Amino acid sequence: MNKKALYLLMIFAVMMTLGTGVSYAATAEENYKFYCTQCHGPQGKGDGINVTKDMAVTPRNHASAEDMSKLSDADITNAITDGGPANSKSPLMPPFGKTLTADEIKDMVSYLRKLCNCTAK
Amino acid sequence: MVKRVTCSRVVVVSLLASAMIGFGAESSRADAAKGKGVFEAKKCGSGDCHITQGPATEKTFADQLKKKGPELWYAGSKFKKEWLEKWLQDPIVIRPIEYNSLEKKNAGNHPKLSKAEADEVAEYLMTLTSKDVEAGVIQANKNIQGKQAFEKKQACQACHQIEKTGKVVGGMVAPSLVKAGERLQGDWVYAYLKKPKVFKPVKRMPIYEGYLSDVDMKNVAALIASF
Repeated sequence: MNKKALYLLMIFAVMMTLGTGVSYAATAEENYKFYCTQCHGPQGKGDGINVTKDMAVTPRNHASAEDMSKLSDADITNAITDGGPANSKSPLMPPFGKTLTADEIKDMVSYLRKLCNCTAK
Repeated sequence: MVKRVTCSRVVVVSLLASAMIGFGAESSRADAAKGKGVFEAKKCGSGDCHITQGPATEKTFADQLKKKGPELWYAGSKFKKEWLEKWLQDPIVIRPIEYNSLEKKNAGNHPKLSKAEADEVAEYLMTLTSKDVEAGVIQANKNIQGKQAFEKKQACQACHQIEKTGKVVGGMVAPSLVKAGERLQGDWVYAYLKKPKVFKPVKRMPIYEGYLSDVDMKNVAALIASF
C-alpha cells in the first residue's frame, strides 16, 4: 500500500469514528431530564408536569424499588423503544426507538436502575 | 354585433381583473416589507426569541433550550394568515407551560401588536415558507382513523391539550391543539410528523416515523386540521 492510499484510509477511519455513536446527549441523565421528566417528574416519582387529573393512568414511579423490580431490563427496554403497548401497557408512554439510539436506551435502563436502586426480581 | 360587444366586455373585465390581481400582489409585497420592518424594529428575531432564518441548525439540547420562542422560519407553511392576524393582536396562551420550561406556567405576556402592525407582520411571516411542506395534500377531516391513531395507537393527549366533549383535557408541556385547525395548516402537521428533524432537530416530542404509517400521519394531520 502506498503512502497516499494509507493516508486516505486513515482519513476514512477518522470520519467513520466521528460519524458513529456521536450523540448530542452526553449522558442518560441528560436524556432523562429532557424527554422523561415531563411525565415521570424530575426525581422520577411519576409526577411530571403533564400529569393532570384527566390522565388515564399515572406514569410509573421510577424511584419505587417495589414497582420497578417487577420489570425485567427487557421490559424496560421494550417500553422505552416501542412505548407502553409493547408491554401491554398504556400508549400514554410513547415510543422512543426512533428518537434515542439503542446505546442510549441501554444507558437509560441502567440509569433507571440507579433511580430505583433495584434490580429485576 | 351582439357577439362583438360581449367579447369587448369580456376583454375589459379580464383586463380589470388582471390589474386588480396585480395590484393585490403588489400591495401584499409592500405589506410584507412593512411587516418585516415592524418585526425587526420590535426585535422579535433577536435575543433568541424567534429564528427567521432556515434551515434549522440546532444540534444539542442546549441549542434548543436557549430559544425563548418557537422558530418562525417556516411560519408561512405552518400557520394560517387569518389566525396570525388575530393572534398577534390578542396573543392568547398556546402552551400552558412556558416555552422550553417544565415547570413555569406561561404568563401569557407575549407583546401585542396593533391591527395594522399585526396584518403587516402576518403578511411578512406568510412569506417564510419551507420547501418541505407540500401544499394541498391534507384536507381537514374529523376522521375516525385519525382519532384512533391520535388517541389510542399513540396518545398525543399525554402532552397536548385537546377538547373532549366540550372539556379541555391533556398534558401541559406541548402546544395546545384546542382549535388547532384555526391555527395550523394540515399540510404542515403532516410534513412535521413525516420529517420532524427538518423543522425541529432537537425536541421533546418523539419521532413517530416507523410507529405511525404514512396513512396514519395523513389521517392525524387531517384530524388536527379539523379541531
